[in-house]
Amino acid sequence: MLDGASLRVEAGTVAVIEGASGSGKSTFLRVMATLLQPDGGDVLLHDVPSSAISPQEFRRRVAFVSQRPPMLPGDVEANVATGPRLRGEELRRTRLVELLREVCLDPELIERPADELSGGEQQRVAIARALANDPEFLLLDEPTSALDPATASHVVGTILALARRGLGVVVVTHDRSQAASLTATPWECVGGKIGSAR
Amino acid sequence: MTYLEISLPRLAISFALIVGAILLSRRSRVGLEGQLLWGAIRAAAQLLAIGYGLLLLFGHERPWSVLLVLLVMVLVAAATAARRVEHGPPSRRLFLPALLAIVGGGSLALVPVFAFVISPTPWYEARLLVPISGMILSNAMNVVALVFERLFSVAESEAPRIEQLLSLGATPAQALETQERAAVRAAMIPAINGLLTVGLVALPGMMTGQIVSGTPPIRAVRYQIVIMYQLAAVATVSSLLAAWLVRRLVFNRHQQLATARASARRASAPSEAPAR
Repeated sequence: MLDGASLRVEAGTVAVIEGASGSGKSTFLRVMATLLQPDGGDVLLHDVPSSAISPQEFRRRVAFVSQRPPMLPGDVEANVATGPRLRGEELRRTRLVELLREVCLDPELIERPADELSGGEQQRVAIARALANDPEFLLLDEPTSALDPATASHVVGTILALARRGLGVVVVTHDRSQAASLTATPWECVGGKIGSAR
Repeated sequence: MTYLEISLPRLAISFALIVGAILLSRRSRVGLEGQLLWGAIRAAAQLLAIGYGLLLLFGHERPWSVLLVLLVMVLVAAATAARRVEHGPPSRRLFLPALLAIVGGGSLALVPVFAFVISPTPWYEARLLVPISGMILSNAMNVVALVFERLFSVAESEAPRIEQLLSLGATPAQALETQERAAVRAAMIPAINGLLTVGLVALPGMMTGQIVSGTPPIRAVRYQIVIMYQLAAVATVSSLLAAWLVRRLVFNRHQQLATARASARRASAPSEAPAR
């Protein structure tokens, strides 16, 4: 499915992998998120192999948002606070509001059951949920595929802002124009190999 | 009260019930005639064999012979519970968790009762140890099989949610917590229902058997109460143990869903989500 794919992501940059459906780009992202074990090769975090870091710590530091991220039971607050709660920590209300604003979600939605939100709102709750773990890298699989153009461009803006803040972001997309708007050098995934799209 | 023996010719008469069932099945085109006949023959053969087997065992009652019978029961129960489940690993990998869950729950339900409640002399009295252990072990077997079936099936159907939790930093135990609890609850429902309806809906086999063979009902029910409590205990312990032991088969050593590769292959050609 994937062969010889390699990518180096710097903090504070956005790397975009574009490619058609079935080209292996989502698989590549799942390997980077350590949700899938490659037959060979490794994922390095600041030059330390993922195998030398506990999966819990690695996944907290490298956040992953899938294409259609499932909402967990409960309201928006319960969803966004999941990561800290799993570690026995509490997400402060002010931080919660800050995270929702960061992904352009109305803080009034805090008590709404997450599964009642629109696809676009769920996508942004998922990004806020990933950010609640204070990750160093953020892996996004088709983050705007469920969004209308206006919201999509807002999410693109959010991604660029996150990168400016120092986060390393990897975005997988099948949308060429979005790839171009996110980065100067999008990477292309063709038949499981990664190369420069330009 | 006297025990009424069923002679072999009279036993043969009861076979008319099966003949009737076969005729009805044929007439209404249910198509189960073959299975009914095969089932009736197998049931009779297995029961006659165990009847003679127990006769032999009672005649040569030694600790090792009784323990050997229990060992065979445990192994058959584990092999049956470990039968291939959909989305699950091969039977050989399920056998050990099944064996440990059945032995764990079974011994917790059996040892204290035989030590402090029934206290037979000698302790290995086969007339008591074999049938009661059989009831408990077969229940443990069913509970374990249910937990396996349910857990692997939800690990597949709820894979996105489980992976979502893993990617947020959950341990395998945290990621599968909800599903494990649901599987254990589902496996325990028959035992709970049994406690609630015993005597109202069904008279259990052991009590019926004792009453038929002449034991005063008030004595027979005491045994039945003990059995019901044992069944509840074995269902609880075996299902919890099964869920705990099988967790390491749902995930691999990298704390990824063991079925993730298969899911990734299926997802490699997704339809793009509609814009909204």
